[in-house]
Amino acid sequence: MVMIPTLLAISVLVFVIIQLPPGDFLTTQIAELQAQGQDTNSAKIEFLREQYGLNKPLWEQYAIWLLGMLQGDFGYSFEYDLPVSEVVGDRLFLSFVLSFATIIFTWAMAFPIGVYSAVNQYSPGDHALTFIGFLGLATPNFLLALVMMYLAKAHFGISIGGLMDPEYIDQPFSYGKFISVLEHLWVPVIVIGTSGTAGMIRRLRANLLDELQKQYVTTARAKGLTPTRALIKYPLRMALNPFIADIGNLLPQVVSGAAVVSMVLSLPTTGPMLIEALQSQDMYLAGSFLMFLAMLTVVGVLISDIALAALDPRIRLGAGNDK
Amino acid sequence: MRLLVFTLLGFCAVASANFSDALELQEADYFSASVTKGILPPIANRIPSDPAVATFEGEGTSIGMSGGTIRILMAKAKEVRQMVVYGYARLIGYDSKLVLRADILKKFNVEKGRIFTLTLREGHRWSNGDRFTTEDFRYWWEDMANNKELFPAGPPVQMLVDGALPTVEIISETEIRFAWEHPNPEFIPALAKASPLYIYAPSAYLKKFHPKYQEADKLAQMVAAENRQNWASLHNRKDNSYKNDNPDLPTLQPWVIQTAPPAERYIFSRNPFYHRVDTNGFQLPYIDEVHMDIVAGKLIPAKAGSGEVDLQGRYLNFNDTPFLKQNEEKYGFVTHLWRTGKGSQLTLYPNLNIEDREWRDLFRDVKFRRALSLATNREEINEVVYFGLGLPQNNSLLPGSPIYDQKSAYAYAEFDIENANALLDEIGLKLGPGGIRLLPDGRKAEIIIETAGESTEETDVLQLIHDSWLRAGIKVYTKPLQREVLRNRVFSGQTQMAIWSGLQNGLASPEMSPAELAPTSQQQLQWPMWGQYLETKGAAGQAVDLSAAELQLERYFAWRVAASFEAKKKIWSDMVRTYNDQVFTIGLISGALQPIVANARLRNLPAEGYYNWDPGAHFGSYRPDTFWLSLSKTDG
Repeated sequence: MVMIPTLLAISVLVFVIIQLPPGDFLTTQIAELQAQGQDTNSAKIEFLREQYGLNKPLWEQYAIWLLGMLQGDFGYSFEYDLPVSEVVGDRLFLSFVLSFATIIFTWAMAFPIGVYSAVNQYSPGDHALTFIGFLGLATPNFLLALVMMYLAKAHFGISIGGLMDPEYIDQPFSYGKFISVLEHLWVPVIVIGTSGTAGMIRRLRANLLDELQKQYVTTARAKGLTPTRALIKYPLRMALNPFIADIGNLLPQVVSGAAVVSMVLSLPTTGPMLIEALQSQDMYLAGSFLMFLAMLTVVGVLISDIALAALDPRIRLGAGNDK
Repeated sequence: MRLLVFTLLGFCAVASANFSDALELQEADYFSASVTKGILPPIANRIPSDPAVATFEGEGTSIGMSGGTIRILMAKAKEVRQMVVYGYARLIGYDSKLVLRADILKKFNVEKGRIFTLTLREGHRWSNGDRFTTEDFRYWWEDMANNKELFPAGPPVQMLVDGALPTVEIISETEIRFAWEHPNPEFIPALAKASPLYIYAPSAYLKKFHPKYQEADKLAQMVAAENRQNWASLHNRKDNSYKNDNPDLPTLQPWVIQTAPPAERYIFSRNPFYHRVDTNGFQLPYIDEVHMDIVAGKLIPAKAGSGEVDLQGRYLNFNDTPFLKQNEEKYGFVTHLWRTGKGSQLTLYPNLNIEDREWRDLFRDVKFRRALSLATNREEINEVVYFGLGLPQNNSLLPGSPIYDQKSAYAYAEFDIENANALLDEIGLKLGPGGIRLLPDGRKAEIIIETAGESTEETDVLQLIHDSWLRAGIKVYTKPLQREVLRNRVFSGQTQMAIWSGLQNGLASPEMSPAELAPTSQQQLQWPMWGQYLETKGAAGQAVDLSAAELQLERYFAWRVAASFEAKKKIWSDMVRTYNDQVFTIGLISGALQPIVANARLRNLPAEGYYNWDPGAHFGSYRPDTFWLSLSKTDG
């Protein structure tokens, strides 16, 4: 029940922050027109301001926006001259595809490496993998994106940027399009995934090391369990908590989808759109995005809390003790 | 073939006899299926009976073949409007020599600079097949421009002369006359702009959204269905000839948008009713489709450099040239270097309206401005930042302009630090501690140059300025600001000096307005308040009180009423001379180069040209409707 006031507070913050830079969408537009040497006359601007409702007091603009959102109307994008919901369109879907691919990549890479590193602590393999992991953590994503993009073009002939070959854009889904998406997907997945993978490896390794030292593991070994079973049956399950706790962060990421990388790679996801909207002060588009992200964070945290409680009796019982 | 053409003409009631003798009209492959099926009328019925015939006299231009698709890139969805710019079908437009010629119009006639008679082409049609007649002009004038709800501030300013509207007389379906009391020199150039003044609109389509022609219930239904506030808002949304974002809106441009925004890829297909043909009787444009992909601006050079585009200038920067040149062979494209058409790539604007009295007096002293200009090492800037390929001249006209005068373009543009110091001594700015001069009130002569900070180019150049002005005892600081904030600070007289690009039009001909050379607009960063004074008719800003600027303003008014070409040319030269002699702005570098990437098979795109917004419309004045794709990379 803390969620609703939280979201309300966020909505006020979002609205205020968007309004903070000087001017509004129209002043940005006017400056652009004038920079191109076009005439803009003040009466026409007033007319537009009225039409967009920008002449109303701030609290009224806020109230209209908030009430609209409660009814599922996210307002109007000035930049596109279309309702926000229509603008976002299938970008949301592609963002989901990209993010899920990235999550699966992250887990598929991080899980075995993390377990290996923990079990064989300080072995050459551990050092090598840790080194690579830190490299992944330290390399700026956008740089990696540029390098990978160049390699993909030079060696595999994959068109630069985007999530599919230009010829498939806005075409109905087909086998060719599917293949084209797969061809393009791996670059952003690796780029966005590397830093996440590295982080995940470190966390899993640390948690697992903690567990491996505990007495019950020693006991299990002493009782003659095979090393694999002694690893998987108990300590690994304990070390899974950070994966579950991460769900809270994953959900908003799915939507904002590594905006910087998406900008660099020109991916048709929601991230670049959000940044553009903020730049041109397209306030309802930007605001709705930010609200949506906030909502997903709140919901994500809730889900991960519930999942943790369901999985881990310690948390479930601990919560009960507080009462 | 002859027989076929005659059969086609048999359907055609309007084609005149002598025309059919001169040209054998040919159907483009792109439309032949539609014509056979009866979806489209045959070509003779689609084009005007007296179409515009494209001539190919320019060097390296040739009659081409129809067909093919070209790919272009843009960074924002709203740049679909660039196709209206590149298409450049205008009532009257500039040709590649910057001469105004009738294009959509068959001809136009100007009497005493105030009576304009426009003649349309018989049988001209919109892209959906509706007839294009003077009714479209009448609809725009009576039902749009003079409708309080659609144009709350009244018709566009170019239609007003001293606040008075023209009388509009419709002579026939193809002839219309606009007559003002006094000359309106800005009318014709406004029609030819990259973003033109539209004085017509597709009336048959738009009447559906106008209460005068549509039943109230039906209109209310449409307004509700589109989620609009009122009919005017709906009408505005549908009528975006320039924004070009409504695929249903008929157009006269060579390519018609097919994709409704938002999208990642916009498809433009050739206009079946386009009014231009080549001398072989093929309808233009040659290119069937243009595909515009929306990608991140920073990716565009990379994509252009790997052959993923067929024609691109926008978002390419001079810095990208080595990378582009390097990849030409591998990916089969060519890189042309065109000159930019602005009066100056970067210009310093001393704020003559600054609040600070001391600085205001200094900036208004022509000796001070000349000294600063002389203390600027333009050769060095050219060598260091522009590989020596720019023109180290002042903010003035470029060699491509018929009014260009080398002497005034290079006035006070040489690097002469001794002379600069002598001038500063003469003003009485004594050297203080650290070699920095002192103002009369004892403050240090420190100038903060404010930049919108949008490129490292500006900050690099400012560092060079800093070094060379220091030798004249002037200390420079650079302050990056957000574009909006910078403008507002200049307008309110807080900024000392700003850096921005120079004159918008470095390729002016005498018919174009010299307003940029006189204090006529708040946007002129060297005298924003004087400009605002004129714009608001004295309601805001300050009256001009510097004799040289007053003189410029008088000449501008004289130009507006000057009747003859010669008189206009004389005024232009005088204004340019004074502008540069007075060093109202300190131009740093001109004629910077713009890389243009094109598919090696693309023909009729000149290897050398001017890349300018207005006049020029980027590629527009070179008429992209005549560009075509050859089968081989080499000529022939």
